[in-house]
Amino acid sequence: MTRPPSPGLLARAALALYPPSWRARYGDEVRALLEESGGGLAAVASLAWRALPAWFWPPRHLHDRPARMRASLGTALMFWSMLAGLGLVFAQLTQLQSLMAPGYAEVRWAYAVFDGSLALSALVAGLGGLPLWLLMLRRARRERRARDMLYLLLPVLAPVAYLAGLAVTVRLVGGPNGVSLSWFLAVTLAGFAAAAIAAAGPGLALRRLQPRGPALRLAAVASVVAAAIMAVAAVAIVVAVVILCLWARQFSGYHNFTTPGIYLALVVATATVTTASAARGARAALHTGA
Amino acid sequence: MTNRLDRWADPPLLVLASLADEPKHGYAITQDVAQTMGVRLSAGTLYAVIARLEARGLIEPLESDDRRRPYRITAAGAEALAMQSERMSKVASLARERLSTRLGWSGA
Repeated sequence: MTRPPSPGLLARAALALYPPSWRARYGDEVRALLEESGGGLAAVASLAWRALPAWFWPPRHLHDRPARMRASLGTALMFWSMLAGLGLVFAQLTQLQSLMAPGYAEVRWAYAVFDGSLALSALVAGLGGLPLWLLMLRRARRERRARDMLYLLLPVLAPVAYLAGLAVTVRLVGGPNGVSLSWFLAVTLAGFAAAAIAAAGPGLALRRLQPRGPALRLAAVASVVAAAIMAVAAVAIVVAVVILCLWARQFSGYHNFTTPGIYLALVVATATVTTASAARGARAALHTGA
Repeated sequence: MTNRLDRWADPPLLVLASLADEPKHGYAITQDVAQTMGVRLSAGTLYAVIARLEARGLIEPLESDDRRRPYRITAAGAEALAMQSERMSKVASLARERLSTRLGWSGA
């Protein structure tokens, strides 16, 4: 027979639901209170329930704004990269196949909006993040932090390595009609992996170097602008795919809604996380006076 | 008998009232509020309130070697408590007066 978990374990589990800054400030006191009062399931349940507002409305005196900006930037960058990857899959399966639906001008418009939004979003993200990237790169060089240098160079190294691998793969296994479906899936998954590695590099450098100041604020504000523009690209993807699947299925190449449905759910979820994370970082940036 | 309006008790006000005479740590606050005001504050509610009051500068933590950190009410907290008490006192007087007129109630 297994023993029921002790109130200590449950209390620790409930406390783990709180934001780290909240736990660091009040965790010991809450544990001491639960030990003195005997804890109990009701106390632990109340503690768990109150964790939710602690995330949504963190107490101001616990709000480490630079840490919030860095965490949001790392998350937004990762999901922005995934969204860009999903967008490139969309472009590959539609525009680059010359997939147009005569009589559906919306699809042509959606392609144009997608192209413009993707390019503009990348430009804003690049220009807004460049000063912060240079700042961290200079510091990593000055302090001879080889690992951080590597992390910061990953956004360049990972895509270059991927494109080189892609070129070799196409040359080796490609035919007159391109590569087979299995190779296409493999190349696509490798592309997502490369995008994740490229985005993870600066995210790790942000955590290790902990930069602050105007460059960080600029990057945080630029990230929400880039995310909002990318959300427009996501809407364009949704519009084009829905029209192709519902009214021009002969052009879409899909005979069921499962694959496009999963794809669109991923697009919407990724765009939502990107925008929400970037908005949290920008809110911290715009409220700080330091 | 448990008052059906207990669930609407204002926990920040209860905590401020508990700290009005002397600094107390979390457990002492819950004991004081339970004994003097008849309301049980759970750990989750108490520390949500403490965090909010501290953020607004109405209470402040004191140095402690113990894990049980005591809190004291600040001048701003005392002022806020006094204002709210005054308002509640007026509401209580009005309620008593109208109840006595309507029902002949003479109070507890």
